[in-house]
Amino acid sequence: MKILNKILLQVLLFLLALVTLFSLIYVLIIAFGKNVISATTFIPEGFTFENFVKLFRETKFANWLANSLIISTTTMVISVILVSVAAYVFSRLRFYGKERLFNLVLLVQIFPLSLSMVSIFQIFVKTGLLNKPLGLIIIDSALSATGLILLAKGYFDTIPYELDEAAMMDGATRLQILRKITFPLVKPMLAVVGIQSFIIAYNEYTIASAVMTVNVEKMPLAVGLQSLIAGQYGINWSMYCAGAVIGSIPMLILFYSMQKYFISGLTEGSVKS
Amino acid sequence: MKRLAILILFLLTFFASVPAVSGSEKTVRVWIGAIAEEKEVMDELAMEFKEKTGVNVEVYQKLEIFTVPNALVNNAELDERPDIVYMQAPDIGGLAESGYLLPLEIDDDLRSRFVDVAFEAFTYNNQVYGIGYSNSTYGLLYNKDLIREDELPETWDELFEKAEALTLRDETGNIVQRGLFLNANDMWFNYPLIKKYGGYYYGTYPNGEYNAYDVGLDNEGMLAYVEKMKELKALGMVLNNPEKKDYSDIVAEFSKGSVAMFFYGLWHAEFFKNANVNYGIAPLPENAKPITTVEGFVVNKFTREEAAALDFLRFILEDDNQQRLIEAGNRHQRKTGERNPTNINVINSPYIQEDEVLASIAQVGRNVEPFPNIPEGTLWYNQDVTFNTFRAIFFGDSSGNEVDAQYKLNELADYIRRNVALMNEEVEFVKTPWYVFAILGGAILALAAYLFVKKIKQRRDPNYFPTKHSRTLTLLAWGLMLPLLALLLMFYVYPIIHNFYLSFTNYSGLNLRNYGIVGIANYKTIFLAGLQGLVQLILWTFVFALSVVAISFVFGTFLATILDKTNVRVAKVYRLIYILPWVIPSIITLLMWQGLLDTESGLVNKLLGLIGIGKIPWLSNAHMARLSTILVMVWFSFPYFMVIAYSFLKSIPKDYYEAARIDGASSFAIFRKITLPLIFRALIPILIMSFIMQFNQFGVYILTGGGPASPRIGNPGATDLLITYVFNTAFNTKRYSLAAAYSVIIFIFVACFALITMRANKKKMEV
Repeated sequence: MKILNKILLQVLLFLLALVTLFSLIYVLIIAFGKNVISATTFIPEGFTFENFVKLFRETKFANWLANSLIISTTTMVISVILVSVAAYVFSRLRFYGKERLFNLVLLVQIFPLSLSMVSIFQIFVKTGLLNKPLGLIIIDSALSATGLILLAKGYFDTIPYELDEAAMMDGATRLQILRKITFPLVKPMLAVVGIQSFIIAYNEYTIASAVMTVNVEKMPLAVGLQSLIAGQYGINWSMYCAGAVIGSIPMLILFYSMQKYFISGLTEGSVKS
Repeated sequence: MKRLAILILFLLTFFASVPAVSGSEKTVRVWIGAIAEEKEVMDELAMEFKEKTGVNVEVYQKLEIFTVPNALVNNAELDERPDIVYMQAPDIGGLAESGYLLPLEIDDDLRSRFVDVAFEAFTYNNQVYGIGYSNSTYGLLYNKDLIREDELPETWDELFEKAEALTLRDETGNIVQRGLFLNANDMWFNYPLIKKYGGYYYGTYPNGEYNAYDVGLDNEGMLAYVEKMKELKALGMVLNNPEKKDYSDIVAEFSKGSVAMFFYGLWHAEFFKNANVNYGIAPLPENAKPITTVEGFVVNKFTREEAAALDFLRFILEDDNQQRLIEAGNRHQRKTGERNPTNINVINSPYIQEDEVLASIAQVGRNVEPFPNIPEGTLWYNQDVTFNTFRAIFFGDSSGNEVDAQYKLNELADYIRRNVALMNEEVEFVKTPWYVFAILGGAILALAAYLFVKKIKQRRDPNYFPTKHSRTLTLLAWGLMLPLLALLLMFYVYPIIHNFYLSFTNYSGLNLRNYGIVGIANYKTIFLAGLQGLVQLILWTFVFALSVVAISFVFGTFLATILDKTNVRVAKVYRLIYILPWVIPSIITLLMWQGLLDTESGLVNKLLGLIGIGKIPWLSNAHMARLSTILVMVWFSFPYFMVIAYSFLKSIPKDYYEAARIDGASSFAIFRKITLPLIFRALIPILIMSFIMQFNQFGVYILTGGGPASPRIGNPGATDLLITYVFNTAFNTKRYSLAAAYSVIIFIFVACFALITMRANKKKMEV
């Protein structure tokens, strides 16, 4: 009975993976497809590299990719720092106004971003950030940090405070505790935050399309790619998918390289109570 | 700590940086279209112009022409403001009305060198605001292998006759070739046919201006058109897929050579070339005028270099320069047909005339009807109402019942008239009545009293010890949070306050600049008229968001536990596969699901057909569409929970499981009683966040377009979410302040929900 259950579960896991894998295959089909007219094509006339060649020859794809990589990596670093500091503060420090601040972080995110655009644009104008990659880095950091604090705080909370207390008894300072005990334990969470913030910055379209309008070369990938399917002129799904395929490689590499941190010695060295 | 200090420094330098002041040199900024070749030539022209006049010209490419009007409004008064802007003529109405466009003087020389429509399209309120450069139009596309040029029909009746003769069936009765192929859900390409029978978009006043209240969609002519379309449908000349909005299927059939004629332009010229279709384009029968979008140049009213800008505009409009631009716009020898010239000299040039297709479409372009450029024009193509109306008329409503065409057309026309009226409504100041103050004041007082009583009770409680916060710790904490707090205030709090302010104004598409306070007029509109149908919408939005979050969470956690027990290497591969929905742009995966779930031709139904299950209307039946939407969105979000739950799993002490196992609990019981609750507790804030995210989910719109449509036009469709519906209705009529008011209400509503949930779970979180 137990074995049967196990097999069933593995079959489920496999089938689901198959369905999901299909999405990648589908994007590949269109990216390599010959003369694909509609985005709902599953069997193209033939296969070709043409779309990739066109992508690099006719658009500024290489620039877009580079811009996005720079913006997303910087955003990732900034938001990992911001988020870990904030999560530590919320989880470990008892201070005046903590609960209210935490609620504020949560509540402000309810407001739909699409409607904030007018105001965000004004801020960009006033601060001289308009059309600067720097501006995108800042707002992407704000977006991802705010969105990820809750997650990180929840994770910090799962690490027993007794660990800190025990270390304090041994005479460790707060900073030492942070470095030697807390930080190694939250690595998996930092990996998740890092990936998430990278993805948020990498995919952000709404704001970028409004504030990065002057130079085509300076646009991030999401805006550039979108323009391939936004025109009314023979929307080229193949070129779009070719861009999506190349564009997803950095994210897959990032995810794969960070995978080990997800699992890394979480329980190692913790007090077995 | 050091890193933090660097970061703060980093942020401070950003904000302190002042935009560089450009030199005193005269500079004209030009925004042009997306074609790279055109940009090159425009840069050359800029250089030549500088040599001639000394005026500096900067050229910027705009990749998406649809976003240009918005970008102009945003940038019109900045230091780096554009002076000449390339845009679509239908977009000028609202901009001219709000005072963003400079009226242009057109002299006889200019007028004589361009086709009339170049000016006609940019004329608003008897004032010319731009000059057309390219003319996106359509004609009768025909396959020369099926019908010769000299055989082309000259009258509509002849067209139908020939089309019928060219429609062939095989022995089993399946159509193998079509003389004519139409999409009955569409109005753009069928417009000449509509017009032939007597229907029209907007009527005109005797002076030629559009009368937006005169909607010609429910007259007798329209009924005749519907009859004719039904007849053609019975003959197999109408695309038999009720879901289809675009022409991709028809284009694909034409590429295969199985369609003799259809109404279309050169949007897929490259595809036809690749497919080796021997095709041509001809004027419509009886010289009917196709509806057309003209693209051209307008001048920013706030230009600082009016004379120089006008000089440069005149310079690029010179015949020779037009020739160079148009050739570049068609990518030189590739002759893609992306730019259809309005300059007469260019039309007659060898470059155009030597290419049969370009020459014909240029000819067609001289006899067109520009799409109405009044602000109300967008009511037509922004909304799905026309699609839904014709879909119901030609394919039945969402349960497949036939509908009365006259009734449906009346409903459509009335809906548009109503929206025209709404757009033009002068919002009058509404004084806040005393009882609103009373209610609000009462609420605040009640809240204050409640908090006061609670505090006193707390103080009197003998077990209560007020938490003393260490001052250093508080200072440290707030200090550490400072950078984040700054970002939060700038990008989150300020927009909310600003929107709150906008919700009390009459900020709208016709009133982008001179808007003022109108009191609570927007809120009054919402509460008096707007709340009908919202209850169902709110319910569905809640059900949708809750089910997506709940299913994704349980399922994701479940998969994480299974993965945890799977062979490590296999698990690695699985995790990599499962995050694919994160990594691939969601627009493409949503469209993939749309294609997979299509009732007629979807892969899912085809597979089900193999095992003997009949067609399931995944997206075309209201209930099934709701289910499908939830499942597709779960597919998008469960990997997130899986990854997070997986890393949380490791932090659950092993002894919990061991103890349970000793007590003889089954694996499932352990999952249900230990894993799930523990992870749930840790993830409560995330769950709330995900709920909010799903609540504001725009992806549904790509998947279903909010449909299947409600039987009543203008009511929310089955899968419409609160946010998409509300914004659609407000944005469709360009009443932005109304959208702001809605968003404030939704914000307060969801915020209360979130706060209450947080409070209710607080005890659980602390236990």
